[in-house]
Amino acid sequence: MLEHIIDLIPAYVLGALDTAEVQIADRHLEQCPACQAELSAYRQVVADLALASPQHNPPARLKEHLMKQVHQSVAQTSPGWMQQIWQRMRTLSPVWAMSSLVLILVLAASNLFWWQQTHQLQSKLRSVSLNNTAAAPNAAGLLVLSVDGERGTLVVDGLPALGGKQQYQLWLIDKGKRTSGGVFSVSQEGYGSLWIESPKPLITYQSFGITIEPFGGSPGPTGEKVLGGQF
Amino acid sequence: MDYTKFDELTLLGLITRRDENALAALYDRFGRMVYTMAINVMNDDAAAEEITQDVFLNIWKKSSSYDASQAKVATWIASITRHRTIDFLRARSIRPTSHEFSWDEEPQLEIADSLDVEVETELHQRQQIVRQGLARLPEDQQKVLALAYFGGYSQSEMAKLLNEPLGTVKTRLRLAMQKLRQYLILIDEETSHEPGRSG
Repeated sequence: MLEHIIDLIPAYVLGALDTAEVQIADRHLEQCPACQAELSAYRQVVADLALASPQHNPPARLKEHLMKQVHQSVAQTSPGWMQQIWQRMRTLSPVWAMSSLVLILVLAASNLFWWQQTHQLQSKLRSVSLNNTAAAPNAAGLLVLSVDGERGTLVVDGLPALGGKQQYQLWLIDKGKRTSGGVFSVSQEGYGSLWIESPKPLITYQSFGITIEPFGGSPGPTGEKVLGGQF
Repeated sequence: MDYTKFDELTLLGLITRRDENALAALYDRFGRMVYTMAINVMNDDAAAEEITQDVFLNIWKKSSSYDASQAKVATWIASITRHRTIDFLRARSIRPTSHEFSWDEEPQLEIADSLDVEVETELHQRQQIVRQGLARLPEDQQKVLALAYFGGYSQSEMAKLLNEPLGTVKTRLRLAMQKLRQYLILIDEETSHEPGRSG
């Protein structure tokens, strides 16, 4: 029989349980949605407690240092390693160089496959970047999907503000068939957002596009495309 | 793009796509909360800075593990901070000294440049609500909650420190958290029923 650990959860979220109790709680929480819900509720209480204590602003240098570290971590994963491999290749005979290159490509493809598999399993938050077109060269957009892939939000910036007779319309594209995901306007600065209306889960669409349409939208796209993207 | 307009979920979505500006914007929103949680336990600027940096690097690396069905973004970040702070404290094996473990001190609302007035006002209102909830707790329950929250003490450590039976400490801590939770739920429900509020 499953014995709930609801009495342990308040101390668990505060980190006040002893090691043996933490292990019991961890094991139980893995398989009990009811206790997971309790855990979420008490985590909110701990977050609220942070407000009840004296507030302190972090020193300004902390953000600078953090962003420097983040930037370095991005730089370390940039493609500089390819140049190093190429330099080494040039010192080998043509046959060995070709064989090594093939081997490296096979290993890279294999790694990429497994990375993608792992990433798909781990990732709970899906998003799609929308690329601009010549009609709106400064525009950018992002579509963020809910965890279950059912719903989503669109955020755009840098789109030209339209007159009162036109609006932007989002198109959800499944095997070439376009369904409206809603219409929206943007502020004078070009910012806009939209809670996407979709007749079926968003995750089932392959790509997305935004066009300029008459106010209120059209049954199908008629105007210029300003943003587009795909999974 | 103006990142201050994006909600927290959108910022996390951008972070999963390695957008450094999105992380900077998230830091502007939650840096103070994380730093406050850390320094109120550690009572040490350097340690609090290290914890704050660790938390945001963790978010940078693991933003895709965030599950919106489990917690709000603020709660998720607070939970990461709490874990990291307790780990840090226990790894040191020395408790912070000259540190008052109580809820008596009135939190000062320092205006952060990165937050707008509306957000600051909401935070201030929430502060008052939480403090009212704490004030309603019996003194012995406030005491164990403060020892656990600020001191990072386990229940058995508190029992020794207070020279009380372990069962008594456990009950006090559980009741303190239960009552505070119930009070916050009650206030949230009342607020959502106020005219002009859609919930």
